Amino acid sequence: MKGFLDYVPGNSFLHKLNPLTKLVLALMICVACFISENHILLVAIILLNLAIAKAAGILSRGLMLLKGLTKISLVIFLLQLLFIRGGDVLITLPLNLLITERGVAMAFVIVLRLIGATMPLALMLSITQMNDLSNVLVTKLKIPYKYAFTLTTAMRFIPIFANEMSGIIEAQASRGVELDTRNIFKKIKFVLPLCVPLLITSVKKIEGSAISAEIRGFHLRTRESCYKGYPIRKSDVGVMFFSAFLVFSAIIISGV
Amino acid sequence: MVNLQNVFFDYGEGETLKNISCRIDKGEFVAIVGANGAGKTTLCKLLNGLLKPSSGSVVINSMDTRTTKTSALAKSIGFLFQNPDRQICKNTVREEILFGLELAFKDKGLIEERLKNTLSTFGFQGDSNPFNLSRGERQRLALASLIAVEPEILILDEPTTGFDYMEAMKTMGTIKELNDKGATVIMICHDMEVVLDFAERVLVLAEGTIIADGQTREIFRKEEALEQASVLPPQLVQLALRLGEGFEDVFSVDEMASAIINRMNKERTFEHERFSGLCTG
Repeated sequence: MKGFLDYVPGNSFLHKLNPLTKLVLALMICVACFISENHILLVAIILLNLAIAKAAGILSRGLMLLKGLTKISLVIFLLQLLFIRGGDVLITLPLNLLITERGVAMAFVIVLRLIGATMPLALMLSITQMNDLSNVLVTKLKIPYKYAFTLTTAMRFIPIFANEMSGIIEAQASRGVELDTRNIFKKIKFVLPLCVPLLITSVKKIEGSAISAEIRGFHLRTRESCYKGYPIRKSDVGVMFFSAFLVFSAIIISGV
Repeated sequence: MVNLQNVFFDYGEGETLKNISCRIDKGEFVAIVGANGAGKTTLCKLLNGLLKPSSGSVVINSMDTRTTKTSALAKSIGFLFQNPDRQICKNTVREEILFGLELAFKDKGLIEERLKNTLSTFGFQGDSNPFNLSRGERQRLALASLIAVEPEILILDEPTTGFDYMEAMKTMGTIKELNDKGATVIMICHDMEVVLDFAERVLVLAEGTIIADGQTREIFRKEEALEQASVLPPQLVQLALRLGEGFEDVFSVDEMASAIINRMNKERTFEHERFSGLCTG
């Protein structure tokens, strides 16, 4: 999932929304996922995520995210299946392991929740410039710039570190480290020492960023320094109502 | 030894390499030159199997890179990256050099001997922490751990970046020694002085294709190809090209000095003959 948080430029309706609206929509989709235990609603939310991706012109990224999350979900599904017990026993396995009716239902809920709640944040970050997000947090939500900067920098560094790690893996594979092995235990054994160069590079990069921010007058920046306006338009209000409707629907359907 | 046949490669954003065909024999010292983005690093990554060609074939020592793992190719290919920090992963210089040696050999005696030789050749303190070394020294350590293994093919991606003149010459000297022992060296380099001093053959890359391939001196005469690849020959060669007749074979300071002396002698003789002619006339 290389570069899955990188900004994808575009001119879609979603691109033009206020960053705050996009953040609210993403968070409300997450909230709806966690409120509901209804499988159909959770599947509908995943489909909504894909529709959002399609509308923003990043369907391929949406599908890539879905594929990646599905792989992780398989492991989580198996674990939940074995460790959640309740209701009728469907299958009895050796070592006193049971697959129960509630285990299956909850495993599905957890996996669908994971996919449904992770996708909107990644999609939102794909169609929002980090600077806009940071500015809106400072001007609209009155968060001190220092903290908004920390948050956006942390997110900006994720793809940088992913890129760095793939470079380190390339360098080590070129030395003969069998990182291309199919044996998962061997692979873990070889990947662990690579944390050293990644850590060193990360610390150096962070130190470099801090110094360059400081020499460019980071401490002089205040809320008033932001010259770009982020007005709330009718479309933003509409999307916020839709977000509220989504949460409300989840509450009604789940009967919370 | 290295054989590329009609190689195409793309990262999904248009073709980075187009129809590359070339053969590099054992013991050659080849430099790949070209502007940034010409496809030099991509070409080198294709050679050690980190990238697989979209079409065409890359064969190294009878091993097709499409069917051979990079870690298996690494037994005969050493690859030095631009950024040494991606390679260094141990806490001492000794452990770092040992890491590469232990991946390549089982014989403890041989490993110890190679370690000792490498430490003394590069002048490293075995117990020092690699991350406390300067950028240039870390690059030399990355190179040292490759050279310790004595690979048959050594691929270097800008080996002298960040070096001062003395460091660059010392490092290139060590690489040349390995080449003299029979290793094939393929080097990406932006420093044309280094290319002229060490490479025997140059591949000029522009927009993903090889636009010139030949002996180093021959290539530095091809002004048009070099211009197309945004490469300038060393200043001495540029001066020789401007001076024209009598300076065609000038590629070093000594050659320039001899050519100037020859030209002065010729002119002196000509003036002398003219003066004698005037007197007798």
